[in-house]
Amino acid sequence: MTATAPVVAAAAPKMDPLHHFHVTKYLDFDYLGIDVAISNSVLWMWIAAGLVLLFFHLAFKNPRIVPGRLQSLGEAGYLFIRGIVDDIVGEKGRPFFPYIFTLFFFILFCNLAGLIPGSFTVTSQLIVTATFSLTIVGFSFAYGFYLHGTHYFKFFVPTGVPVLLMPLMIPIEIISFLARPVSLAVRLFANMTAGHTMLAVMFLYVVTLPWWGAWVPFGFTVIFTGVEIFIGFIQAYIFTILTCVYINDSIHMH
Amino acid sequence: MDATAAALIGMGLAALGFAGSGVGLGVLFGKAIEAIARQPAAEAQLAKYIWIGMAFVEAVALYGLVVAFIIMGKA
Amino acid sequence: MIASAYAATAEHAAAGSGMPQFEPSVFQHQIVWSIASFFVLLYLLKKYVLPPIEKILDERGGKIRSDLEAAEKSRLEADKIRQDVQRQLAAARRLAEQTVEEARLEAAKYRDLARESLTQELAKKKSVALAEIDAAKRAAVAELHDAVVDIAMLATEKLIAKSMNKNDVSKVVQEAVTAIQANPGKLQ
Repeated sequence: MTATAPVVAAAAPKMDPLHHFHVTKYLDFDYLGIDVAISNSVLWMWIAAGLVLLFFHLAFKNPRIVPGRLQSLGEAGYLFIRGIVDDIVGEKGRPFFPYIFTLFFFILFCNLAGLIPGSFTVTSQLIVTATFSLTIVGFSFAYGFYLHGTHYFKFFVPTGVPVLLMPLMIPIEIISFLARPVSLAVRLFANMTAGHTMLAVMFLYVVTLPWWGAWVPFGFTVIFTGVEIFIGFIQAYIFTILTCVYINDSIHMH
Repeated sequence: MDATAAALIGMGLAALGFAGSGVGLGVLFGKAIEAIARQPAAEAQLAKYIWIGMAFVEAVALYGLVVAFIIMGKA
Repeated sequence: MIASAYAATAEHAAAGSGMPQFEPSVFQHQIVWSIASFFVLLYLLKKYVLPPIEKILDERGGKIRSDLEAAEKSRLEADKIRQDVQRQLAAARRLAEQTVEEARLEAAKYRDLARESLTQELAKKKSVALAEIDAAKRAAVAELHDAVVDIAMLATEKLIAKSMNKNDVSKVVQEAVTAIQANPGKLQ
């Protein structure tokens, strides 16, 4: 592979579009044997969380009956999540509203903060999205077990299927349940990673192409950044919706 | 064929997964437009499901991408 | 991002050309910190952000509700006022009609009264006139009677003065009776 590399490519910067996903530890901490280092990932988590708080602080600094622009936006966000929870889970989902609200805005601001040049996209880390998705699915399983007891295992038995097919259907149901955290985590992580990789590749073309050709990938990056904002929103929305669906499944079964 | 070349071919094959996603997006938006043409009043309601569906379909392509990246790590 | 795309150094090349996300050495602290960050954010949002949002939304809901109620109340009030006005109008109309009717009746009464008094006066005048005529007639009859008596007395005196005999007297009386019979209305 390396032997036949063209001269031009060798002169150009080595292409590594995945470089900005590297986690760099700034400060190494160890607490009772647990690694609690501060890395760029952790830093941007905090920045995203800080931006969420800043946004809502500015929006509701002096709340008025007739809202201003930012307050309208904040209220729209609140009512958006409220609508999702009420639509999917219903009355019994009210206690989970703060969690889902936090989840949505944390993920949304992580996605959006990742678009700032030179920043780090926390949600492009599989381990972060996996932590969230495993926690959510694990919680929904435990909550369903808590609400319904052993009756909850009926969840894996599909209704209206002949008994003969049960040995086939039950493993499928179990596998689809186990696939939940994986698909949830991978969807968000892959979307973020793919989008940012694409942007990185395009930026690489911007710097490697001569000036008369560079504007093509540059224009593409400008448009694609807009698409990424949209994707960041959609993915946060999907993540939230699926969380609600899983919680609803454990409350109402199906 | 050395392992690196095989891995590169594998990465390329993993990218074939995008074809499925492309078909999915085509079906999704084609049907969506058809549905809206039939029932323009339902557009706002359908739009929600279109975007959710789009995210799901797109994710399928990205699973392929992840597979490609995993192979890249092995190369 | 441009800079980071450039900076592929030997250090990273050594770490492996795969995805940086699959590097297990960075997993643990990210798990810990993502959970910790989530719950800290949850706590802060729950404590400082959600209550004011809920408060303002409730307030607005309450205000909208109270506004609607006020609008409903004022609508009812307007309805009542309208009905009042209508009632008053109807009353006024009725009063006017009544007044007109009363006036009409009174006018009729006055007219009747006037007619009656006129009739009465006419009747009175007529009766007075009749009485006057009657009296005049009576007076005339009396006068005539007196004149007849005077004439009779005069004639008698003249006859007595002539010392009339039985035949003469009889003749005079006969003459008088004949005169009276010829024109009896003259004595009445």
